[in-house]
Amino acid sequence: MDPVRQDEFDSEACGSIAPKAKPCPRPKPGEAAGGCSFDGAQITLLPIMDAAHLVHGPIACAGNSWESRGTLSSGPSLSQYGFATDLTDSDIIFGGEKKLKESIDYIAGRFAPPAIFVYSTCVTALTGEDMDAVCKTAAERIGIPVIPVNSPGFVGSKNLGNRLAGDALLQYVIGTGEPEPGTPLGVNLIGEYNIAGEMWDIEKLMNSAGISVTSRITGDARYKEITWAHRAKVNMVVCSRALLGLAREMESRYGIPYFEGSFYGAKETTYSLRQMAYLMNDREMERRVDRLTEREEARLSQDLRPYRKLLKGKRAVLYTGGVKSWSVISALKELGVQVVGVGTNKSTEDDVRRIADRVGDDTEYIPEGGASRILKTVKERKADIMIAGGRNMYVAMKEQIPFIDINQERHKAYAGYEGVLRLAKELTYSLANPVWKLAASPAPWDREGPAYER
Amino acid sequence: MNVNRRKKPASVNPLKIGQSLGAVLALQGCYRAMPLIHGSQGCSAFPKALLTRHFREPIAVQTSALQEMDVIFDANRNLEEALNLVLSKHRPDIIGIIGTELTDVAGVDYQTMLKTYKRERNMRGGLAFSVVLPDFRGSLESGYSATVEAMIDEMIQQAGHKGSRSVNTRQITLLPGSFLTPADVMELKEMIASFGFEAIALPDISTSLSGHLLTGFSPLTRGGVPLDSMLQSLQSGLTIAIGGSMERPARRLHNALGTPYKVFGGAMGLKASDELLYFLHQISGEPVPVRYCWQRENLLDTMLDAHFQFAGMSALAALEPDHLYSVSGWLTELGVEQKALIASYETPLVAGMDREIWIGDLDDAEVLGKGADLWISNSHGLAGAGRNGAAFMPAGFPVWSELGAYMSVSVGYRGALEWTNKAGNLLMQREAGRREDRIRHR
Ligand code: SF4
Repeated sequence: MDPVRQDEFDSEACGSIAPKAKPCPRPKPGEAAGGCSFDGAQITLLPIMDAAHLVHGPIACAGNSWESRGTLSSGPSLSQYGFATDLTDSDIIFGGEKKLKESIDYIAGRFAPPAIFVYSTCVTALTGEDMDAVCKTAAERIGIPVIPVNSPGFVGSKNLGNRLAGDALLQYVIGTGEPEPGTPLGVNLIGEYNIAGEMWDIEKLMNSAGISVTSRITGDARYKEITWAHRAKVNMVVCSRALLGLAREMESRYGIPYFEGSFYGAKETTYSLRQMAYLMNDREMERRVDRLTEREEARLSQDLRPYRKLLKGKRAVLYTGGVKSWSVISALKELGVQVVGVGTNKSTEDDVRRIADRVGDDTEYIPEGGASRILKTVKERKADIMIAGGRNMYVAMKEQIPFIDINQERHKAYAGYEGVLRLAKELTYSLANPVWKLAASPAPWDREGPAYER
Repeated sequence: MNVNRRKKPASVNPLKIGQSLGAVLALQGCYRAMPLIHGSQGCSAFPKALLTRHFREPIAVQTSALQEMDVIFDANRNLEEALNLVLSKHRPDIIGIIGTELTDVAGVDYQTMLKTYKRERNMRGGLAFSVVLPDFRGSLESGYSATVEAMIDEMIQQAGHKGSRSVNTRQITLLPGSFLTPADVMELKEMIASFGFEAIALPDISTSLSGHLLTGFSPLTRGGVPLDSMLQSLQSGLTIAIGGSMERPARRLHNALGTPYKVFGGAMGLKASDELLYFLHQISGEPVPVRYCWQRENLLDTMLDAHFQFAGMSALAALEPDHLYSVSGWLTELGVEQKALIASYETPLVAGMDREIWIGDLDDAEVLGKGADLWISNSHGLAGAGRNGAAFMPAGFPVWSELGAYMSVSVGYRGALEWTNKAGNLLMQREAGRREDRIRHR
């Protein structure tokens, strides 16, 4: 297992808060895939469900991206609204600041959100608008926080956008509020976005061990709870290197210890819960966690038995585009699935090291190259199944390869002990589906070979 | 006749979709094509993800991956790099370079660059063209039609020096609008072919995005109209355009080659189908095939059966302009009250309709269409329809809340029949749901 905390500073700019000399690698024209920084910033902030998220730019940035993520809400849905300043020709010529100001006022007046996040996009960044100033005066005028998110698409990758969103939270949100008296203080979950409701599974587990969640950063979050995140006792960074900087900064500002963990796989889940209790410095809690995890692991291994038999020795290629790689590998290994290829395109050196710790020597690393490259690995390594993001789902279908969606658009929750079982079921359903045989066999008239020539 | 806008500064729940997505869609209908978006990587990742979600197919698209400094200093260096890589690695037959708002605002001149590039590399045989499509104008529809126009322009130029044109009167070029599904395009091709014509659709998504299985994966488009057919289409004796937005590309063919053209606003509903078939009958001198006579009867019977269901009902539709025009015509035939008609942006076709049209977003649909029984829009409308208690019928782009949207037919008698049944069923289900509610709460 990794040490709780690495004190040597990361050299990869993608994972640390201050931009370093070595920037994220430049995307290759003609071969690039993946979203922009604006996309990344939204991924991090949209799960703040009761806030309004206003995109400042021409229509496509917002129009093509709203309602595209599987992050779920237990109540408010304002963050699912697509707000955009929808700039036109003349706005570009005369400047969009006036429209931005009016839009903020309009949203505040009509929807009364606790806060408004305003995202810059390439064009508004290029024309050099002073978005920060507009937001600042607007906040004073309407009396709610208006938070500028300076993460236009062209500054870099999605990953960088996650980080910039973290910066915005640090600068404008965290530390601006206080919890109500009597609120039990516990753990901040950083980088868990409640995709398909995973956060709820995790919270249930934590609660049964008596660990309370202080702030969700940001899965199914309410704006207010993030303002008091600085009162938490522990920060857990949920397999998201991009927000590591946020945790580091909170440690130095507020003295909150942090650790990196994951909830994919039983072992990782147990480890994460243990770390929480340990860092909370509560012996009683540690004992409770031990009892809980033992019970859950035992039950899980019972439940898994029928699936393990079917999954044992199956070969998978994993392409999750980044940090999830190492954490999902653990879950797959527990099911007896062999990972024969793994994507490392967005992983940091640290991630790659963790991947190496978890896979065997004959696993192929897929650094980049998109769909064709993944398919090559699937074929060469004779994989039975491909586990990747939605973008590659239909690529797999074209080649008739069983597929499981692991990214943000998916509808299945794979976190925690429950999640392992769900993953086992999904893998089995996918592999055992009759369609593979049907699709692979020709129509009767194509089957008729030259009978006499044999 | 009457075009309105609600006054509000921001767009809330946008209906409009960036023009560049329309361009990518148009290029999916060409064989071995690669759309190349000249912009930051997000500008290609978003359309790719959205188109994938709608069509449930891999989508071919690339980006020049501009970053901040590239935009300021030399954006075309990236484009050149992208072109080099795409050409050497994938050897596409067709490349469409799509300029974005980013290159537009930064004032990047890639047209001249492309010309020089083509001259220097001595590029022949393929088709490479560029089109300027910033997202602060138009929507999916205008991006799509502008791309088809640019494509045709390039074809004409390429064929220009090959001598005179021999007109093939048995061949028709079909310019299908952006709102037509792959199944629609297929249906239209069949209709035209059934009168003895050779139909070349430009572009042809019916063979690329219709979900054919056994072709394997390629980073370029699979299916679609091949380049030689595209060039051959210049010999057509007639152009048929479906959708007002396709008039300009049709006119381009007319101006350059003298090809006569006929524009149909749409092909949905009884009257529009009648018109199309009657036209084909007249120009071919062939009788209308029996199967369409049958389908016409089937449709009329369906409309009779369904009219009880639609009586007293009202609907709202929020769609791209051409699509809205078609759907409105169909609703009129059903006798459904049209509570609100919302288009993503203004075009002459919708402005000329003798109904009240709103230019707006799905929030406008929610407000203006309050009380409507049926809500017709893309999948983004699901939440608003829920809040308004309307039956939700996904249509347009994007549709992800339903399987097989890309295979549903809306054109011809068959399309009208399918839509009529679907809408009627949705209204029936809604009624049943309400009855159950009443029982439970007593
Ligand atoms: S790259 Fe820029 S313009 Fe394109 S979607 Fe991202 S923010 Fe918008």
